[in-house]
Amino acid sequence: MPPNKKKILIITTNHSSYPGADAVGQARLAYEANTYIIRVPDPVMFPEDFYLGAFDKGIGGIIIMSSGSDCPYEGAYERLSKRVARVYEKMKARGIKADRLKLTTICTVCRAAFLKEISEMEKAVAAA
Amino acid sequence: MDEKIKEEASKDNYRQEPKVGVYICHCGGNISDVVDVKKVAEELSKYPGVTVAREYPFMCSSNGQDLITEDIKNLGINRTVVAACSPSLHDLTFRGVLQRAGVNPYLHEHVNIREQDSWVHKLDHAGATAKAIKLAQAGVEKVRRKDPLNAIRVAAEQRVAVIGGGVSGMRAALSAAGKGLEAVILEKGPRLGGKLLDLGRLYPSGEEASAVVKKLEDLVRADKKITVHTDADIDFVGGFVGNFKINFKLPGGKSQQVKAGAIVMATGYEHYKPYKGEFGYGEAANVLTLPEFISLMKKLPAGRLEYGGREIKSLALIHCVGSRQVEGVHKPQADGKINDYCSRVCCTAAINTANQIKEKYPGVRIYDVYRDIRTYGMMHESYYEQASKNGVLFFRHTETDQPVVTSDRTGHNVKVKDVLTWGEELEFKADLVVLVTGLVPSDISLIKSQMKMPSSADRFLQEVHLKLRPVELANAGIFIAGAAQYPMDSTEAMASAGTAASKAGILLAEPDIPLEPFVAVVDEKKCTGCGLCPAECSYDGALTMSEKNGKKVAVVNPALCKGCGACVAVCEPRAIDVAGWTLAQFDAMVEAIAKE
Ligand SMILES: Cc1cc2nc3c(=O)[nH]c(=O)nc-3n(C[C@H](O)[C@H](O)[C@H](O)COP(=O)(O)OP(=O)(O)OC[C@H]3O[C@@H](n4cnc5c(N)ncnc54)[C@H](O)[C@@H]3O)c2cc1C
Repeated sequence: MPPNKKKILIITTNHSSYPGADAVGQARLAYEANTYIIRVPDPVMFPEDFYLGAFDKGIGGIIIMSSGSDCPYEGAYERLSKRVARVYEKMKARGIKADRLKLTTICTVCRAAFLKEISEMEKAVAAA
Repeated sequence: MDEKIKEEASKDNYRQEPKVGVYICHCGGNISDVVDVKKVAEELSKYPGVTVAREYPFMCSSNGQDLITEDIKNLGINRTVVAACSPSLHDLTFRGVLQRAGVNPYLHEHVNIREQDSWVHKLDHAGATAKAIKLAQAGVEKVRRKDPLNAIRVAAEQRVAVIGGGVSGMRAALSAAGKGLEAVILEKGPRLGGKLLDLGRLYPSGEEASAVVKKLEDLVRADKKITVHTDADIDFVGGFVGNFKINFKLPGGKSQQVKAGAIVMATGYEHYKPYKGEFGYGEAANVLTLPEFISLMKKLPAGRLEYGGREIKSLALIHCVGSRQVEGVHKPQADGKINDYCSRVCCTAAINTANQIKEKYPGVRIYDVYRDIRTYGMMHESYYEQASKNGVLFFRHTETDQPVVTSDRTGHNVKVKDVLTWGEELEFKADLVVLVTGLVPSDISLIKSQMKMPSSADRFLQEVHLKLRPVELANAGIFIAGAAQYPMDSTEAMASAGTAASKAGILLAEPDIPLEPFVAVVDEKKCTGCGLCPAECSYDGALTMSEKNGKKVAVVNPALCKGCGACVAVCEPRAIDVAGWTLAQFDAMVEAIAKE
């Protein structure tokens, strides 16, 4: 990894995308090492300023890997997507390119989708 | 808190200054072949708040665990970070080490440097090592901000309510009673037995369905620990793990209530109902569904197969009606969705029926029109082989080229573009068309919406995790038995019912039950009483505004809170957090990760 490559923060869920990321490892698939996975019960808990704060701290890109329709929490996905829409507005106001934040759905076995999201974010981060 | 809910006694070892022990696992060579574990330990030993950092070949071995115990004893370590495999494998192992050594088990953080590091960055040793260091540092930041937590204990009713009295419900009740629990079966129909009441000779046992039902029902009726209510119309399900309440009406309008510590959902399935005109169903005479045909055949004597007063000499079975539907090819269901799942049991059921027809009415010609034969299950392929030997003729079509049935007074004409003869258009006459209909979930929308039970894209009830938490719903204390979860045969249904009852038995083994304490907590000093958070909460009664010490504050019911954190995001003064997963922890983790 080149030393100053921008870091990608990947927010995963305990129920779905974190096991999905494990499945990618179990299959010994490869992606780049500038990727940092954190896990939460549900990303719905993060307020808008959490994302903006992460960019301020120097994070290059953020992928929110939610559980989507597999989400065990009632109404959480709808609330999350509305919140992310507001984060985009604030990013725009601050001149942060929209493709540095992505909300997506990753299931426990979505290996290909997981890798695709990372490779897209790698491109966005490199271009930023 | 509710009087029924209390915290476990806590261990007061956390008021001391945090002293973090960091342990880097080699996992044989799984991690250390890629990650420079010595370097990670070295970097971590210099990190603020860390008292000791070590690396070891197998942290999960008893020697590895002893390393931590010794450090707790000798160095006063009171928080741990283990960087190793996925937490799904060993988080609980290390929590146990802390607990046995007298440290609150929630003061542990498990960092994944195998599945999410060494295994995916094999060719980038430097990158994988740098990442492991950052992840472990983020783990230290998190664990330093952790509070000791105590499992929440809820007093529980020693009773299981089983909704649905098919074979799954009966099996679940019997298993629960066998574990010493009371069980109450609530069945909406007039009889126990579910769909088996209408079936004939079953695969794979060859037993009559009615005999299977009778055997189970006799056991249920004889068991003093089991109460049965048939014709029970459930109109309310509420409460939470340990303390569920189910209200139902009996014929005559009398209302009753069952209180239960756990619920087993054994509500089964419904047969897919073909729409009017689907392969002639409901329009042409002599078009039946497979369950209708099985019921009919049960009543008919051997010798002459008859329907509507006419002898049936030829019969076409058409598979996958209402299952494995294809967007653009099939008409969507009422909710706009198609049934794209496989109903699993119908292939074997259809072929089992074909063999029984051949046995009872050897002269009848049978044409079997299918897309794929999926006779899954031990030895079920032998039904297919037997049918071929019996002279059943098989035709195979693709997903887009559906068979076409045209009917007139003389019978039906079936056209198939047959894959087995390289796409030839084949045509045959049949006196009777039998549609092998799929399985759809029972309509339990009222219960599902009242309890906010999750369902899969296929609308069946959804378990939390196939391997880690099978038959458990995300709702603590509610388990799924049988075909309510997905189409399955009665052997599978009864096996899953046994699992559900065992899980209920484990849950209710003690008079009060421990719950993970990862629920919302309110810092009353910071709470301004603004009232924004209850509106974000999807769970009735989990988060409310109340007067406390003369001040309006948000109050959480920990037994109802699911810990999603929807409330956290809207709290400007950050007065509310999910215990164990606080925003302050995440901010610090991101800071550590982002730092050059
Ligand atoms: C055509 C066909 C042939 C089959 N042949 C075989 C075979 O040969 N061998 C085999 O092993 N399996 C066979 N099966 C599968 C078998 O029918 C199921 O495995 C079995 O019925 C599942 O049992 P269950 O108790 O889970 O569900 P069900 O049998 O559906 O029972 C569910 C019960 O719950 C009740 N219920 C539903 N909602 C409520 C509510 N809200 N309140 C109270 N009660 C409620 C229903 O009234 C019903 O009594 C066949 C299936 C089909 C479609």
